[in-house]
Amino acid sequence: MCVLAYYFEAAGFSTVLVGFVREHIEALEPPRALWLDFPMGRPFGKPNDPAYQAKVIRAALKLFNASSGPVVVDFPDIIPVKDGRMGYAIPPEYVFTTEEIGDIDVLVEEVQSEIQALLPAYESARTFRGRTTVGASELAINELAPYIAEFVKGNKPKSPRKGVTAIPLLKLVVEDLNAYYTEARTHRDNIDDFELLGTWFWEESKAGKLIMWLEAVSLESDDKVLRQIVDMSLITPRFWSNGPLPGTSASGW
Amino acid sequence: MVRIVDMPTIGRGFISDLEMIEFESPAWTAPVPASERRVAIVSTAAVSRRGEKPFSWLARDYRAINKNDRDLVMTHVAAEYDRTAWQQDLNAIMPLDRLEELAQSGEIDSVAETHYAFMGAANPRDMEKSAKEVIGRMQEEGVNTVFLAPV
Repeated sequence: MCVLAYYFEAAGFSTVLVGFVREHIEALEPPRALWLDFPMGRPFGKPNDPAYQAKVIRAALKLFNASSGPVVVDFPDIIPVKDGRMGYAIPPEYVFTTEEIGDIDVLVEEVQSEIQALLPAYESARTFRGRTTVGASELAINELAPYIAEFVKGNKPKSPRKGVTAIPLLKLVVEDLNAYYTEARTHRDNIDDFELLGTWFWEESKAGKLIMWLEAVSLESDDKVLRQIVDMSLITPRFWSNGPLPGTSASGW
Repeated sequence: MVRIVDMPTIGRGFISDLEMIEFESPAWTAPVPASERRVAIVSTAAVSRRGEKPFSWLARDYRAINKNDRDLVMTHVAAEYDRTAWQQDLNAIMPLDRLEELAQSGEIDSVAETHYAFMGAANPRDMEKSAKEVIGRMQEEGVNTVFLAPV
């Protein structure tokens, strides 16, 4: 992003950026930067808090008052994170092996029941917000778990979506399933706590368990891409874990 | 205060190993007065309109988003950052409503019609061609100020 700032500034635009990694800002020296000591994923601080968002924007726009640069300023507020991690991470010890995988058809039924139970909250959230972020995969909600289950069974289903192959679609399906749950829960219980939501989805829900089974199967898969995206924490959130996924080297990184 | 040294092992290793590009000379464009600022947001959150082609994992391209678009999806490759904030409120990552309020209160001139999204995981050197396209579009639209935001 600092590099994009350089391209735009060099073309005659005045730029300002907000960023999370101060060392990168210092190294890349974009013209004007406001450093945020926030968790990643929320560069304007807090959802549904217009005053807070405006405070971040105004602090950034204030950097246009500088007559020369580069300018780096620290935003005064801190949004604390847990143990230095910038997002939720599954505990390193929470893993499934392929030997622990049970009846996948039963689990899919359990996920479908969870989805059904969350439907009123999801619909209410969608109406209240006037939008939903679910749908990047373009599969219907009740198609998400069966699609993931095919991979758990060792199959590689044909992608139903033109222009998107099976494994990239799998990633979007996982994200849609996660988004469906968290959109419903944040609205239903009026909570904004990604650690709580991560624990609930990944460690407690049946949907999370389904994806954990997918992770276990993928790590032993003959499909290099499937193995690699799991090793790189692109399916399950382990990037901020205190160690690599057992049985892997985190070599993808 | 979270610095790279405070981050857990894997994330710390990845983030500290990222290549830092050096430029021969720093860029600097003197800003226009606040009352003349026409602002576009450039986000690296890999958001796009529903139904558009998803971003590929190391995409060099970009998506254009109208200031009134709200039916957006995210196809960023990374899974390490919080997505629940933007699920609740687009302004948590792309503050289009907040900028509109600043325009109404006279703190900026106006909000551009079009805003832009890139895939933050890609190498920024590979984005130069797309950046040039975006520059052309912003010039056509009279944008003079760019607000960049990560995710």
